[in-house]
Amino acid sequence: MKPSKSIKWRLQIWYGLILLGVLAGFGLTAYQLTRNQQMARIDDELHRRVGMLANAMHRPPPRRPEFDFDGGGPPPGGPDHFDGPDRPDMRGDRPLPEFHLPPEDAHYFDDSDPHDFFFKIIHFNSRGPDSVKETEIARSTNYPSEPFDFFAKPIFATPRPEPANDIPPTATPPFPEQAKNAASKFSPGATMPLSTTTFDHYRQTAEMLPPGDFVEVGCSITPELHELKVTAWRLAIIGGGILLLGLAGGGWLVDRALRPVEEISSAAARISGSDLAQRINVPETESELGELATVLNSTFARLETAFDQQRQFTADAAHELRTPVTVILTQTQTTLNRERDAAGYRQALEACQRAAQRMRKLIESLLALARLEAGQESLNRQRVDLAGVVSDSVALLGPLAAERNIKISAELKSVEINGDAERLAQVATNLLANAIQYNRPDGEVRLGLKEENGLAILTVADTGPGIPAADQPRVFERFYRADQSRTGSGNSGLGLSICQAIVAAHAGTIEIKSEENVGTTFTVRLPLS
Amino acid sequence: MRILVIEDEPDLLASLAQALREEGYAVDTAANGPDGLFNAEGTDYDAIVLDVMLPGMDGWDLLTRLRKTKKTPVLMLTARDQSRDRVRGLDTGADDYVVKPFDLAELLARLRALIRRSANHTTNLIEIGSVKIDTAARHVFLKDQPVELTAREYGLVEFLALHRGEVVTRTQLYEHLFDENESSMSNLLDVHVSNARKKLGADFIVTRRGHGYCIE
Repeated sequence: MKPSKSIKWRLQIWYGLILLGVLAGFGLTAYQLTRNQQMARIDDELHRRVGMLANAMHRPPPRRPEFDFDGGGPPPGGPDHFDGPDRPDMRGDRPLPEFHLPPEDAHYFDDSDPHDFFFKIIHFNSRGPDSVKETEIARSTNYPSEPFDFFAKPIFATPRPEPANDIPPTATPPFPEQAKNAASKFSPGATMPLSTTTFDHYRQTAEMLPPGDFVEVGCSITPELHELKVTAWRLAIIGGGILLLGLAGGGWLVDRALRPVEEISSAAARISGSDLAQRINVPETESELGELATVLNSTFARLETAFDQQRQFTADAAHELRTPVTVILTQTQTTLNRERDAAGYRQALEACQRAAQRMRKLIESLLALARLEAGQESLNRQRVDLAGVVSDSVALLGPLAAERNIKISAELKSVEINGDAERLAQVATNLLANAIQYNRPDGEVRLGLKEENGLAILTVADTGPGIPAADQPRVFERFYRADQSRTGSGNSGLGLSICQAIVAAHAGTIEIKSEENVGTTFTVRLPLS
Repeated sequence: MRILVIEDEPDLLASLAQALREEGYAVDTAANGPDGLFNAEGTDYDAIVLDVMLPGMDGWDLLTRLRKTKKTPVLMLTARDQSRDRVRGLDTGADDYVVKPFDLAELLARLRALIRRSANHTTNLIEIGSVKIDTAARHVFLKDQPVELTAREYGLVEFLALHRGEVVTRTQLYEHLFDENESSMSNLLDVHVSNARKKLGADFIVTRRGHGYCIE
């Protein structure tokens, strides 16, 4: 068996593919969940820092530009683009807010943390839909260089202005009243999250501080990315391990599941190859395989019976043919040993002829029987009066009966059946010939024919020695003879087998009733149609 | 040599008897079991050819009964060649076994071997002084020159040679050389003995008065 064709390998491959799919799905989900969790944590952190920065913003009252911040002038006048609850003035320029990050919070934005949080604060002043002035208020020193910049992406129509000077957060004067816990001072709702993105190895969030300031806080997520990478590798390695273990376990299971099949098939091969009398050992009759073994066993039993019958038949046929062949062989060898006169050759040839005719008769009977049993010879059915058929047989065998001084008495009622006249005549003649041949001298044969319950019933009774009860079921067997010896009478031992086959072909039955020293009666029952 | 053939097929019985007679054997025949047993028990045959399937009493039965009184070599003929049949035949007391259809030459050779073995000889060749007897070819040589003997003369010489040193009675000789149809002619034996002496030397066969003949 080629490995690609074997169920074992196909099962293994399918099982492996399914396991791989399940593991990959599980791994990807686990990775994604971990990543989401990591990012949510980062985002919380970013949001907290936005709050911190928001608290560090000090908005001066309107039109009081004395808190001018280095690097940004007072915003020009014009209507504010952004609406907010604390919008101080609808028309005038909003003053730039002051930004003072308390020194104790400064370490939140330097490289003391591996995340390296950075920020940038921009003030927008809108003078119309097409004109927005953007002023940078503050930016941490560790703000990444180009091309990274959240606001580089054009969220507004105006071109991005040149970045302002860097403001070291630590340079701002302290605001003690706000320097406690930045996180606790942050009140949700004070800022409006705009968007959060991952850019290269940075995670960054932009939020709006109403009325018009934008805070951008970001951090490096290298540690998270590294951790995710490690996680991914771990998942891959664990997944691979599970896959290998699963494949090994699957292989074991498949092997275990298929071993009985292999055992059954090898046992079946052994049995069909050598000895049909053997049987497959059935381990558990309840299981499907036990059922298979049982079915195979019953098939073997039937095969064995058929083979035995065949062997018996062949042996019997060979046995029957051996005697005439021996006659011919011995006769010819003896005769040819030396020169003979004409009478010597004639005698030898006559003996050979008798032997050859005996073989011909045997072969014809065997073929007739084989055809009848194989159903090859279809019956030539027509309406036929059985009484006429039986009378013809009596007329045919009358001389033989007279020779042995046997009296034939017939009580025949006309019964029409649908059958093959020629074959039925064969049955009647065979039974009658047997009754004459195996009768005692001066004996009697009684024939009866009547109709009963839709059946034609033919009885042939003789006054012969009878057949022992033990042998009665065997009389229909091929080559069975009552006296267990060939008597040279030309009886092939197939007559009753042929009768039974013909009757069976007519859907009828034939049975024997015999009593020793009284006689034997054969009864044939044939359906009328 | 006298042989009994028990076989129920008339044509086979006739041709077997003819073949054996032409080989120089005296042959008796029986066509059924009881007759065969009667003959086999009543006469000292040199060998019996026995068919298995017989009317009246089958070959196994006949052999079992015969073995109670006689050790006559028996060659079984059967149409069954299954080994269990052979085993059964040999166990029952058959000395050899031939399956039908057999080759006549083989049957004859086996019969010769049976008879030889029963006389405790292992080869076909018997040497007595200057006389050599080839029991397979049925030839007799005197000083390496072939001697023409009739079948009956040969039978006499062979039987006496096979029982060399024993005194063989006239009755025994009659039993082994003549079949049941011809044994009444009592002077025939003397004629054959006298002819054999003429051809092989006067002292080849010694007469023991009142007992019989002997080859020493």
